[in-house]
Amino acid sequence: MNVIEINKLTKYYGQARGIVDVSFNVREGEIFGFIGPNGAGKSTTIRTLLALIYPTGGSAKIFGKDCISEGPEIRRQIGYLPSEVYYYDNMRVIELLKYSASFYPDTDNKRIYELAEIMELDLGRKIDDLSYGNKKKVGIVQGLLHRPRLIILDEPTGGLDPLMQHKFFELIREENQNGVTVLFSSHILSEVQRICTRVGIIKEGKMVKVEDMSTLGHTNYKKFKVEMLEPQPVDYFNLAGIGDLSVNGKSASFIFNGDINQIIEKLYAKKISNLIVEEPSLEEIFMHYYEREA
Amino acid sequence: MNIVLRELRANLKSLVIWCLAMVFLIAVGMVKYAGIEAVGQSANQLLNQMPAVIKSMLGMNELDLTSISGYYGVFFLYFALLGGTHAVMLGALIISKEERDKTADFLFVKPVPRSKIITAKLAAVIINLAVFNLVTYFASVFFVAQYNRGESINDQIAYLMISLFILQLIFAAIGLGISGFAENAKKAASLSTTVFLITFFLSAAIDLYDKIDFLKYFTPFKYFPVVEVMQGSFNTFFLFLSTAIILACTAMVYVTFQKRDIYI
Repeated sequence: MNVIEINKLTKYYGQARGIVDVSFNVREGEIFGFIGPNGAGKSTTIRTLLALIYPTGGSAKIFGKDCISEGPEIRRQIGYLPSEVYYYDNMRVIELLKYSASFYPDTDNKRIYELAEIMELDLGRKIDDLSYGNKKKVGIVQGLLHRPRLIILDEPTGGLDPLMQHKFFELIREENQNGVTVLFSSHILSEVQRICTRVGIIKEGKMVKVEDMSTLGHTNYKKFKVEMLEPQPVDYFNLAGIGDLSVNGKSASFIFNGDINQIIEKLYAKKISNLIVEEPSLEEIFMHYYEREA
Repeated sequence: MNIVLRELRANLKSLVIWCLAMVFLIAVGMVKYAGIEAVGQSANQLLNQMPAVIKSMLGMNELDLTSISGYYGVFFLYFALLGGTHAVMLGALIISKEERDKTADFLFVKPVPRSKIITAKLAAVIINLAVFNLVTYFASVFFVAQYNRGESINDQIAYLMISLFILQLIFAAIGLGISGFAENAKKAASLSTTVFLITFFLSAAIDLYDKIDFLKYFTPFKYFPVVEVMQGSFNTFFLFLSTAIILACTAMVYVTFQKRDIYI
Protein backbone atom coordinates (compact mmCIF):
# COMPACT_ATOMS: atom_id res chain seq x y z
CA MET A 1 0.00 0.00 0.00
CA ASN A 2 1.20 3.49 -0.79
CA VAL A 3 1.15 6.08 1.96
CA ILE A 4 2.17 8.90 -0.36
CA GLU A 5 1.18 9.02 -4.02
CA ILE A 6 2.49 11.96 -5.98
CA ASN A 7 1.25 12.32 -9.51
CA LYS A 8 2.78 14.84 -11.93
CA LEU A 9 3.00 17.43 -9.20
CA THR A 10 4.02 20.82 -10.58
CA LYS A 11 4.65 24.09 -8.84
CA TYR A 12 5.70 27.35 -10.40
CA TYR A 13 6.39 30.44 -8.32
CA GLY A 14 5.21 32.96 -10.85
CA GLN A 15 7.65 32.30 -13.70
CA ALA A 16 10.20 30.57 -11.50
CA ARG A 17 10.38 26.81 -11.51
CA GLY A 18 9.65 24.98 -8.29
CA ILE A 19 9.00 21.41 -9.38
CA VAL A 20 7.86 19.98 -12.71
CA ASP A 21 5.88 16.75 -13.15
CA VAL A 22 7.20 15.11 -10.02
CA SER A 23 5.78 11.61 -9.55
CA PHE A 24 6.69 8.98 -7.00
CA ASN A 25 5.14 6.79 -4.34
CA VAL A 26 6.16 6.06 -0.80
CA ARG A 27 5.06 2.65 0.46
CA GLU A 28 3.74 1.94 3.88
CA GLY A 29 6.44 1.12 6.43
CA GLU A 30 9.45 2.24 4.42
CA ILE A 31 11.98 4.98 4.99
CA PHE A 32 12.07 6.84 1.72
CA GLY A 33 15.05 9.07 1.10
CA PHE A 34 14.41 12.17 -0.94
CA ILE A 35 17.71 13.52 -2.10
CA GLY A 36 18.86 16.31 -4.30
CA PRO A 37 21.07 19.38 -4.23
CA ASN A 38 19.89 22.58 -2.59
CA GLY A 39 17.20 24.26 -4.62
CA ALA A 40 16.24 21.08 -6.46
CA GLY A 41 12.66 21.18 -5.19
CA LYS A 42 12.66 18.95 -2.11
CA SER A 43 11.11 21.52 0.19
CA THR A 44 8.66 22.62 -2.50
CA THR A 45 7.42 19.03 -2.79
CA ILE A 46 7.14 18.63 0.97
CA ARG A 47 5.42 21.98 1.49
CA THR A 48 2.87 21.00 -1.15
CA LEU A 49 2.24 17.69 0.61
CA LEU A 50 1.48 19.69 3.75
CA ALA A 51 -0.76 22.14 1.86
CA LEU A 52 1.38 25.07 2.91
CA ILE A 53 1.60 25.88 -0.77
CA TYR A 54 -0.77 24.96 -3.57
CA PRO A 55 0.32 23.04 -6.65
CA THR A 56 0.10 24.60 -10.10
CA GLY A 57 -0.61 21.18 -11.57
CA GLY A 58 -0.85 17.51 -10.73
CA SER A 59 -1.94 16.06 -7.43
CA ALA A 60 -0.71 14.34 -4.32
CA LYS A 61 -2.42 11.89 -2.02
CA ILE A 62 -1.53 10.82 1.47
CA PHE A 63 -3.32 7.83 3.03
CA GLY A 64 -5.35 7.82 -0.19
CA LYS A 65 -6.75 11.29 0.46
CA ASP A 66 -6.08 14.47 -1.45
CA CYS A 67 -3.44 16.63 0.23
CA ILE A 68 -5.20 19.89 -0.39
CA SER A 69 -8.91 19.20 -0.03
CA GLU A 70 -8.54 16.75 2.85
CA GLY A 71 -5.43 18.33 4.30
CA PRO A 72 -6.58 18.94 7.87
CA GLU A 73 -7.73 15.36 8.31
CA ILE A 74 -4.53 13.93 6.83
CA ARG A 75 -2.30 16.15 8.94
CA ARG A 76 -3.60 14.53 12.11
CA GLN A 77 -1.43 11.53 11.22
CA ILE A 78 1.62 13.45 10.03
CA GLY A 79 4.64 14.54 12.01
CA TYR A 80 6.68 17.24 10.30
CA LEU A 81 10.14 18.48 11.09
CA PRO A 82 11.02 21.53 8.99
CA SER A 83 14.57 22.20 7.90
CA GLU A 84 14.66 25.39 9.93
CA VAL A 85 12.81 25.39 13.20
CA TYR A 86 11.23 28.54 14.55
CA TYR A 87 8.85 28.75 17.47
CA TYR A 88 7.13 31.37 19.58
CA ASP A 89 10.09 32.95 21.34
CA ASN A 90 8.48 33.88 24.61
CA MET A 91 7.17 30.39 25.32
CA ARG A 92 8.83 27.74 27.40
CA VAL A 93 9.64 24.45 25.73
CA ILE A 94 7.02 22.52 27.68
CA GLU A 95 4.35 25.15 26.93
CA LEU A 96 5.10 24.93 23.24
CA LEU A 97 4.99 21.14 23.25
CA LYS A 98 1.70 21.09 25.14
CA TYR A 99 0.32 23.70 22.75
CA SER A 100 1.37 21.48 19.87
CA ALA A 101 -0.21 18.44 21.56
CA SER A 102 -3.48 20.34 22.03
CA PHE A 103 -4.06 20.19 18.27
CA TYR A 104 -4.21 16.40 18.25
CA PRO A 105 -7.04 14.55 19.95
CA ASP A 106 -6.05 11.90 22.49
CA THR A 107 -2.40 12.74 22.90
CA ASP A 108 -0.97 11.95 26.28
CA ASN A 109 1.70 14.19 27.72
CA LYS A 110 3.73 11.17 28.85
CA ARG A 111 5.10 10.86 25.35
CA ILE A 112 6.50 14.43 25.56
CA TYR A 113 8.56 13.57 28.63
CA GLU A 114 9.68 10.28 27.09
CA LEU A 115 10.94 11.95 23.93
CA ALA A 116 12.49 14.86 25.79
CA GLU A 117 14.48 12.41 27.87
CA ILE A 118 15.75 10.55 24.82
CA MET A 119 16.78 13.80 23.12
CA GLU A 120 18.14 15.28 26.38
CA LEU A 121 15.92 18.31 26.05
CA ASP A 122 15.44 20.70 28.97
CA LEU A 123 11.69 21.38 29.04
CA GLY A 124 11.80 24.32 31.41
CA ARG A 125 13.84 26.66 29.24
CA LYS A 126 12.59 29.51 27.12
CA ILE A 127 12.58 28.91 23.38
CA ASP A 128 14.36 32.23 23.01
CA ASP A 129 17.41 31.02 24.95
CA LEU A 130 17.87 27.78 23.03
CA SER A 131 20.74 27.13 20.65
CA TYR A 132 19.96 26.09 17.10
CA GLY A 133 20.62 22.44 17.89
CA ASN A 134 18.34 22.55 20.91
CA LYS A 135 15.57 24.15 18.87
CA LYS A 136 15.96 21.29 16.45
CA LYS A 137 15.42 18.89 19.35
CA VAL A 138 12.20 20.72 20.21
CA GLY A 139 11.24 20.24 16.58
CA ILE A 140 11.90 16.52 16.76
CA VAL A 141 9.84 16.05 19.93
CA GLN A 142 7.13 18.28 18.49
CA GLY A 143 7.03 16.20 15.30
CA LEU A 144 6.74 12.87 17.10
CA LEU A 145 4.68 13.56 20.21
CA HIS A 146 1.31 12.74 18.65
CA ARG A 147 2.50 9.32 17.39
CA PRO A 148 2.07 10.08 13.68
CA ARG A 149 1.74 7.33 11.07
CA LEU A 150 3.83 9.33 8.62
CA ILE A 151 6.89 11.34 9.52
CA ILE A 152 8.15 13.98 7.09
CA LEU A 153 11.68 15.16 7.75
CA ASP A 154 13.13 18.06 5.78
CA GLU A 155 16.92 18.07 6.20
CA PRO A 156 16.54 17.12 9.84
CA THR A 157 20.12 16.69 11.00
CA GLY A 158 21.49 20.20 10.53
CA GLY A 159 22.60 21.64 13.86
CA LEU A 160 22.64 18.30 15.66
CA ASP A 161 25.98 17.03 16.90
CA PRO A 162 27.02 13.49 15.82
CA LEU A 163 25.86 11.93 19.09
CA MET A 164 22.43 13.52 18.79
CA GLN A 165 22.25 12.59 15.12
CA HIS A 166 22.83 9.01 16.17
CA LYS A 167 20.09 9.15 18.80
CA PHE A 168 17.80 10.79 16.30
CA PHE A 169 18.37 8.08 13.71
CA GLU A 170 17.75 5.45 16.39
CA LEU A 171 14.49 7.14 17.27
CA ILE A 172 13.39 7.25 13.64
CA ARG A 173 14.37 3.61 13.11
CA GLU A 174 12.41 2.62 16.20
CA GLU A 175 9.33 4.48 14.98
CA ASN A 176 9.78 2.82 11.61
CA GLN A 177 9.90 -0.63 13.21
CA ASN A 178 6.55 0.18 14.79
CA GLY A 179 5.15 0.62 11.31
CA VAL A 180 5.61 4.34 10.79
CA THR A 181 6.41 5.49 7.26
CA VAL A 182 9.15 8.08 6.87
CA LEU A 183 9.88 10.59 4.11
CA PHE A 184 13.40 11.79 4.69
CA SER A 185 14.72 14.66 2.63
CA SER A 186 18.41 15.44 2.56
CA HIS A 187 21.23 16.67 0.40
CA ILE A 188 23.75 14.44 2.16
CA LEU A 189 24.02 11.08 0.43
CA SER A 190 25.77 9.24 3.28
CA GLU A 191 22.98 10.24 5.67
CA VAL A 192 20.38 8.81 3.35
CA GLN A 193 22.44 5.68 2.78
CA ARG A 194 22.54 5.16 6.52
CA ILE A 195 18.82 4.91 7.11
CA CYS A 196 16.74 4.67 3.96
CA THR A 197 15.34 1.68 2.16
CA ARG A 198 14.56 3.49 -1.09
CA VAL A 199 15.59 6.82 -2.51
CA GLY A 200 14.17 9.28 -4.96
CA ILE A 201 16.59 11.66 -6.59
CA ILE A 202 15.42 15.11 -7.63
CA LYS A 203 17.37 17.59 -9.68
CA GLU A 204 16.35 21.00 -10.98
CA GLY A 205 12.73 20.37 -10.11
CA LYS A 206 12.46 16.99 -11.83
CA MET A 207 12.61 13.46 -10.49
CA VAL A 208 15.65 11.80 -11.95
CA LYS A 209 15.37 8.35 -10.52
CA VAL A 210 13.78 6.24 -7.80
CA GLU A 211 16.01 3.40 -6.70
CA ASP A 212 16.29 0.74 -4.03
CA MET A 213 18.99 1.57 -1.58
CA SER A 214 20.54 -1.84 -2.20
CA THR A 215 21.21 -0.81 -5.82
CA LEU A 216 22.62 2.54 -4.88
CA GLY A 217 24.49 0.97 -1.98
CA HIS A 218 26.90 -0.77 -4.36
CA THR A 219 27.97 2.44 -5.88
CA ASN A 220 31.07 3.84 -4.38
CA TYR A 221 31.84 7.31 -5.60
CA LYS A 222 35.27 8.71 -4.84
CA LYS A 223 36.81 11.94 -5.87
CA PHE A 224 40.50 11.80 -6.81
CA LYS A 225 43.03 14.58 -7.10
CA VAL A 226 46.43 13.39 -8.28
CA GLU A 227 49.73 15.23 -8.73
CA MET A 228 52.19 13.33 -10.93
CA LEU A 229 55.92 13.74 -11.20
CA GLU A 230 55.73 13.62 -15.01
CA PRO A 231 53.04 15.08 -17.28
CA GLN A 232 50.68 12.34 -18.48
CA PRO A 233 48.65 11.89 -21.67
CA VAL A 234 45.18 13.35 -21.35
CA ASP A 235 43.49 9.94 -21.66
CA TYR A 236 45.66 8.14 -19.11
CA PHE A 237 42.84 7.83 -16.57
CA ASN A 238 40.12 7.36 -19.12
CA LEU A 239 38.41 4.25 -17.73
CA ALA A 240 34.79 3.20 -17.58
CA GLY A 241 33.25 4.77 -14.48
CA ILE A 242 35.27 7.98 -14.69
CA GLY A 243 33.51 11.31 -14.60
CA ASP A 244 34.47 14.94 -14.52
CA LEU A 245 37.99 14.14 -15.73
CA SER A 246 40.26 17.12 -16.02
CA VAL A 247 43.97 16.79 -16.79
CA ASN A 248 46.26 19.76 -16.57
CA GLY A 249 49.89 18.89 -17.16
CA LYS A 250 51.02 16.92 -14.13
CA SER A 251 47.79 17.17 -12.21
CA ALA A 252 44.55 15.33 -12.79
CA SER A 253 41.22 15.21 -11.02
CA PHE A 254 38.14 13.02 -11.56
CA ILE A 255 35.28 11.23 -9.90
CA PHE A 256 35.29 7.46 -10.07
CA ASN A 257 32.60 4.89 -9.49
CA GLY A 258 33.64 1.27 -9.75
CA ASP A 259 36.35 -1.14 -8.68
CA ILE A 260 38.85 1.05 -6.92
CA ASN A 261 41.70 -1.38 -7.70
CA GLN A 262 41.64 -0.22 -11.30
CA ILE A 263 42.66 3.25 -10.18
CA ILE A 264 45.24 1.90 -7.76
CA GLU A 265 46.84 -0.03 -10.62
CA LYS A 266 46.99 3.09 -12.75
CA LEU A 267 48.53 5.06 -9.92
CA TYR A 268 50.99 2.32 -9.02
CA ALA A 269 52.44 2.33 -12.51
CA LYS A 270 53.51 5.97 -12.22
CA LYS A 271 55.39 8.12 -9.75
CA ILE A 272 53.04 10.46 -7.96
CA SER A 273 53.85 13.38 -5.70
CA ASN A 274 50.49 13.90 -4.05
CA LEU A 275 47.13 12.16 -3.81
CA ILE A 276 43.83 13.23 -2.32
CA VAL A 277 40.85 10.87 -2.21
CA GLU A 278 37.59 12.23 -0.86
CA GLU A 279 33.81 11.75 -0.84
CA PRO A 280 32.33 13.76 -3.66
CA SER A 281 29.41 16.01 -2.85
CA LEU A 282 25.99 14.95 -3.99
CA GLU A 283 25.99 17.78 -6.49
CA GLU A 284 29.13 16.41 -8.12
CA ILE A 285 27.69 12.94 -8.34
CA PHE A 286 24.50 14.22 -9.88
CA MET A 287 26.35 16.46 -12.23
CA HIS A 288 28.27 13.63 -13.82
CA TYR A 289 26.21 10.51 -13.41
CA TYR A 290 22.63 11.60 -13.62
CA GLU A 291 22.92 14.41 -16.09
CA ARG A 292 22.14 12.32 -19.15
CA GLU A 293 19.25 10.58 -17.48
CA ALA A 294 17.63 13.81 -16.41
CA MET B 1 -9.96 27.37 21.49
CA ASN B 2 -6.29 26.66 22.08
CA ILE B 3 -5.38 29.18 19.39
CA VAL B 4 -7.60 31.86 20.97
CA LEU B 5 -5.94 31.37 24.36
CA ARG B 6 -2.51 31.39 22.76
CA GLU B 7 -3.29 34.67 20.98
CA LEU B 8 -4.72 36.26 24.10
CA ARG B 9 -1.57 35.42 25.99
CA ALA B 10 0.67 36.59 23.16
CA ASN B 11 -1.11 39.96 23.01
CA LEU B 12 -1.59 40.42 26.74
CA LYS B 13 1.45 42.58 27.35
CA SER B 14 0.70 44.97 24.54
CA LEU B 15 -2.96 45.16 25.55
CA VAL B 16 -2.05 46.07 29.12
CA ILE B 17 0.24 48.85 27.88
CA TRP B 18 -2.46 50.23 25.58
CA CYS B 19 -5.02 50.15 28.39
CA LEU B 20 -2.66 51.90 30.79
CA ALA B 21 -2.09 54.56 28.15
CA MET B 22 -5.85 55.10 27.86
CA VAL B 23 -6.31 55.35 31.62
CA PHE B 24 -3.43 57.82 31.81
CA LEU B 25 -4.84 59.91 28.96
CA ILE B 26 -8.25 60.14 30.61
CA ALA B 27 -6.85 60.85 34.09
CA VAL B 28 -4.56 63.64 32.88
CA GLY B 29 -7.21 65.05 30.55
CA MET B 30 -9.76 65.35 33.33
CA VAL B 31 -7.26 67.10 35.61
CA LYS B 32 -7.11 69.85 32.98
CA TYR B 33 -10.88 70.14 33.09
CA ALA B 34 -10.69 71.54 36.60
CA GLY B 35 -8.60 74.43 35.24
CA ILE B 36 -10.85 75.21 32.30
CA GLU B 37 -13.99 75.04 34.37
CA ALA B 38 -12.51 77.57 36.81
CA VAL B 39 -11.76 80.05 34.01
CA GLY B 40 -15.31 79.65 32.71
CA GLN B 41 -16.61 81.26 29.50
CA SER B 42 -13.37 83.08 28.78
CA ALA B 43 -11.82 79.70 28.05
CA ASN B 44 -14.31 79.21 25.24
CA GLN B 45 -13.54 82.67 23.86
CA LEU B 46 -9.85 81.95 23.98
CA LEU B 47 -10.32 78.70 22.16
CA ASN B 48 -12.55 80.32 19.57
CA GLN B 49 -9.64 82.49 18.53
CA MET B 50 -7.64 79.45 17.55
CA PRO B 51 -7.40 78.77 13.80
CA ALA B 52 -10.03 76.41 12.48
CA VAL B 53 -7.40 73.95 11.28
CA ILE B 54 -6.02 73.49 14.78
CA LYS B 55 -9.47 73.24 16.28
CA SER B 56 -10.56 70.58 13.86
CA MET B 57 -7.34 68.59 14.28
CA LEU B 58 -7.87 68.71 18.02
CA GLY B 59 -11.52 67.74 17.65
CA MET B 60 -12.84 70.87 19.35
CA ASN B 61 -15.38 72.29 16.89
CA GLU B 62 -18.92 72.65 18.05
CA LEU B 63 -18.22 71.59 21.58
CA ASP B 64 -18.70 73.70 24.68
CA LEU B 65 -15.56 73.04 26.61
CA THR B 66 -16.81 74.48 29.88
CA SER B 67 -19.51 71.84 30.26
CA ILE B 68 -18.27 68.47 31.36
CA SER B 69 -19.98 66.63 28.51
CA GLY B 70 -18.59 69.05 25.93
CA TYR B 71 -15.15 68.77 27.41
CA TYR B 72 -15.32 64.99 27.52
CA GLY B 73 -16.54 64.93 23.91
CA VAL B 74 -13.16 66.29 22.80
CA PHE B 75 -11.61 63.06 24.09
CA PHE B 76 -13.41 61.04 21.47
CA LEU B 77 -11.03 62.00 18.68
CA TYR B 78 -8.06 60.85 20.76
CA PHE B 79 -9.86 57.64 21.67
CA ALA B 80 -10.54 57.04 18.01
CA LEU B 81 -6.92 57.73 17.06
CA LEU B 82 -5.46 55.49 19.74
CA GLY B 83 -8.11 52.80 19.51
CA GLY B 84 -7.90 52.88 15.73
CA THR B 85 -4.12 52.52 15.74
CA HIS B 86 -4.32 49.64 18.18
CA ALA B 87 -7.02 47.93 16.14
CA VAL B 88 -5.48 48.39 12.71
CA MET B 89 -2.09 47.07 13.87
CA LEU B 90 -3.68 44.15 15.69
CA GLY B 91 -5.67 43.24 12.60
CA ALA B 92 -2.74 43.62 10.24
CA LEU B 93 -0.39 41.48 12.30
CA ILE B 94 -2.45 38.79 13.99
CA ILE B 95 -2.21 36.44 11.01
CA SER B 96 0.78 37.81 9.14
CA LYS B 97 3.06 37.62 12.16
CA GLU B 98 3.09 33.83 11.82
CA GLU B 99 4.97 34.19 8.56
CA ARG B 100 7.12 37.04 9.87
CA ASP B 101 8.19 35.02 12.93
CA LYS B 102 8.44 31.90 10.77
CA THR B 103 6.06 30.07 13.06
CA ALA B 104 3.73 29.45 10.11
CA ASP B 105 5.44 26.10 9.52
CA PHE B 106 4.32 25.14 13.00
CA LEU B 107 0.76 26.40 13.00
CA PHE B 108 -0.38 25.73 9.47
CA VAL B 109 0.70 22.07 9.40
CA LYS B 110 -1.55 21.33 12.37
CA PRO B 111 -4.70 19.36 11.58
CA VAL B 112 -6.87 22.47 11.49
CA PRO B 113 -8.27 24.14 8.38
CA ARG B 114 -6.98 27.65 7.77
CA SER B 115 -10.49 29.04 8.10
CA LYS B 116 -10.62 27.85 11.70
CA ILE B 117 -7.29 29.47 12.45
CA ILE B 118 -8.58 32.75 11.02
CA THR B 119 -11.77 32.47 13.07
CA ALA B 120 -9.80 31.84 16.26
CA LYS B 121 -7.57 34.82 15.60
CA LEU B 122 -10.58 36.94 14.79
CA ALA B 123 -12.10 36.00 18.15
CA ALA B 124 -8.87 36.98 19.89
CA VAL B 125 -8.92 40.34 18.10
CA ILE B 126 -12.50 41.04 19.15
CA ILE B 127 -11.73 40.15 22.78
CA ASN B 128 -8.70 42.46 22.75
CA LEU B 129 -10.75 45.30 21.28
CA ALA B 130 -13.54 44.76 23.81
CA VAL B 131 -11.12 44.86 26.74
CA PHE B 132 -9.57 48.06 25.38
CA ASN B 133 -13.05 49.55 25.04
CA LEU B 134 -14.29 48.49 28.47
CA VAL B 135 -11.18 49.79 30.20
CA THR B 136 -11.68 53.11 28.40
CA TYR B 137 -15.33 53.16 29.45
CA PHE B 138 -14.71 52.44 33.13
CA ALA B 139 -11.76 54.83 33.31
CA SER B 140 -13.96 57.54 31.76
CA VAL B 141 -16.85 56.94 34.12
CA PHE B 142 -14.49 56.98 37.10
CA PHE B 143 -12.46 60.08 36.27
CA VAL B 144 -15.39 62.10 34.93
CA ALA B 145 -17.24 61.45 38.19
CA GLN B 146 -14.32 62.97 40.09
CA TYR B 147 -14.92 66.37 38.47
CA ASN B 148 -18.58 66.27 37.60
CA ARG B 149 -20.73 68.44 39.80
CA GLY B 150 -23.78 68.32 37.57
CA GLU B 151 -25.81 65.51 36.07
CA SER B 152 -24.23 62.15 35.33
CA ILE B 153 -22.99 61.81 31.73
CA ASN B 154 -22.52 58.03 31.90
CA ASP B 155 -25.04 57.52 29.10
CA GLN B 156 -23.18 59.88 26.82
CA ILE B 157 -19.95 58.07 27.63
CA ALA B 158 -21.61 54.78 26.78
CA TYR B 159 -22.81 56.11 23.39
CA LEU B 160 -19.30 57.26 22.59
CA MET B 161 -17.90 53.88 23.59
CA ILE B 162 -20.31 52.10 21.26
CA SER B 163 -19.09 54.34 18.44
CA LEU B 164 -15.50 53.72 19.45
CA PHE B 165 -16.06 49.97 19.40
CA ILE B 166 -17.51 50.09 15.91
CA LEU B 167 -14.54 52.21 14.77
CA GLN B 168 -12.17 49.70 16.35
CA LEU B 169 -13.90 46.86 14.53
CA ILE B 170 -13.74 48.73 11.22
CA PHE B 171 -10.03 49.40 11.50
CA ALA B 172 -9.21 45.89 12.73
CA ALA B 173 -11.16 44.50 9.77
CA ILE B 174 -9.28 46.80 7.38
CA GLY B 175 -5.96 45.62 8.85
CA LEU B 176 -7.03 41.98 8.53
CA GLY B 177 -8.26 42.47 5.00
CA ILE B 178 -4.98 44.07 3.98
CA SER B 179 -2.94 41.31 5.63
CA GLY B 180 -4.76 38.76 3.47
CA PHE B 181 -3.20 40.00 0.26
CA ALA B 182 -0.11 41.89 1.47
CA GLU B 183 3.06 39.95 0.73
CA ASN B 184 4.37 40.05 4.28
CA ALA B 185 3.73 41.39 7.75
CA LYS B 186 5.84 44.48 7.22
CA LYS B 187 3.88 45.50 4.15
CA ALA B 188 0.58 44.67 5.85
CA ALA B 189 1.46 46.88 8.81
CA SER B 190 2.72 49.82 6.79
CA LEU B 191 -0.14 49.69 4.30
CA SER B 192 -2.69 49.49 7.11
CA THR B 193 -1.26 52.45 9.01
CA THR B 194 -1.13 54.41 5.76
CA VAL B 195 -4.81 53.76 5.14
CA PHE B 196 -5.52 54.70 8.75
CA LEU B 197 -3.68 58.01 8.54
CA ILE B 198 -5.22 58.89 5.19
CA THR B 199 -8.72 58.42 6.62
CA PHE B 200 -7.79 60.61 9.59
CA PHE B 201 -6.39 63.47 7.50
CA LEU B 202 -9.32 63.18 5.15
CA SER B 203 -11.73 63.70 8.03
CA ALA B 204 -9.77 66.76 9.15
CA ALA B 205 -9.78 68.12 5.60
CA ILE B 206 -13.54 67.66 5.33
CA ASP B 207 -13.96 69.79 8.47
CA LEU B 208 -12.10 72.59 6.74
CA TYR B 209 -13.56 72.52 3.23
CA ASP B 210 -17.31 72.08 3.01
CA LYS B 211 -17.01 71.35 -0.68
CA ILE B 212 -15.50 67.92 -0.11
CA ASP B 213 -18.17 66.91 2.35
CA PHE B 214 -19.20 64.03 0.04
CA LEU B 215 -15.88 62.32 0.85
CA LYS B 216 -17.10 61.62 4.36
CA TYR B 217 -18.19 58.16 3.27
CA PHE B 218 -14.55 57.22 2.82
CA THR B 219 -13.43 57.99 6.35
CA PRO B 220 -14.80 56.12 9.37
CA PHE B 221 -13.79 59.11 11.51
CA LYS B 222 -16.81 60.89 10.02
CA TYR B 223 -19.30 58.09 10.71
CA PHE B 224 -19.90 59.07 14.33
CA PRO B 225 -20.18 62.87 14.81
CA VAL B 226 -19.59 63.47 18.52
CA VAL B 227 -22.43 65.96 19.09
CA GLU B 228 -25.03 63.67 17.56
CA VAL B 229 -23.71 60.50 19.16
CA MET B 230 -23.75 62.08 22.60
CA GLN B 231 -27.43 62.72 22.16
CA GLY B 232 -27.84 59.04 21.53
CA SER B 233 -28.52 59.42 17.84
CA PHE B 234 -26.74 57.13 15.39
CA ASN B 235 -26.98 57.60 11.65
CA THR B 236 -28.53 54.42 10.24
CA PHE B 237 -26.73 54.73 6.95
CA PHE B 238 -23.33 54.97 8.59
CA LEU B 239 -24.13 52.01 10.83
CA PHE B 240 -25.00 50.06 7.73
CA LEU B 241 -21.85 51.24 5.97
CA SER B 242 -19.73 50.26 9.00
CA THR B 243 -21.22 46.78 9.04
CA ALA B 244 -20.65 46.42 5.33
CA ILE B 245 -16.97 47.41 5.62
CA ILE B 246 -16.41 45.05 8.54
CA LEU B 247 -18.05 42.12 6.79
CA ALA B 248 -16.41 42.78 3.43
CA CYS B 249 -12.91 43.08 4.86
CA THR B 250 -13.35 39.99 7.03
CA ALA B 251 -14.72 37.99 4.13
CA MET B 252 -11.73 39.14 2.07
CA VAL B 253 -9.21 37.73 4.53
CA TYR B 254 -11.03 34.37 4.59
CA VAL B 255 -10.97 34.19 0.80
CA THR B 256 -7.45 35.46 0.12
CA PHE B 257 -5.67 33.81 3.01
CA GLN B 258 -7.10 30.38 2.31
CA LYS B 259 -5.86 30.46 -1.26
CA ARG B 260 -2.41 31.83 -0.77
CA ASP B 261 0.90 30.05 -0.48
CA ILE B 262 2.60 30.27 2.88
CA TYR B 263 6.29 31.03 2.87
CA ILE B 264 8.68 31.50 5.69
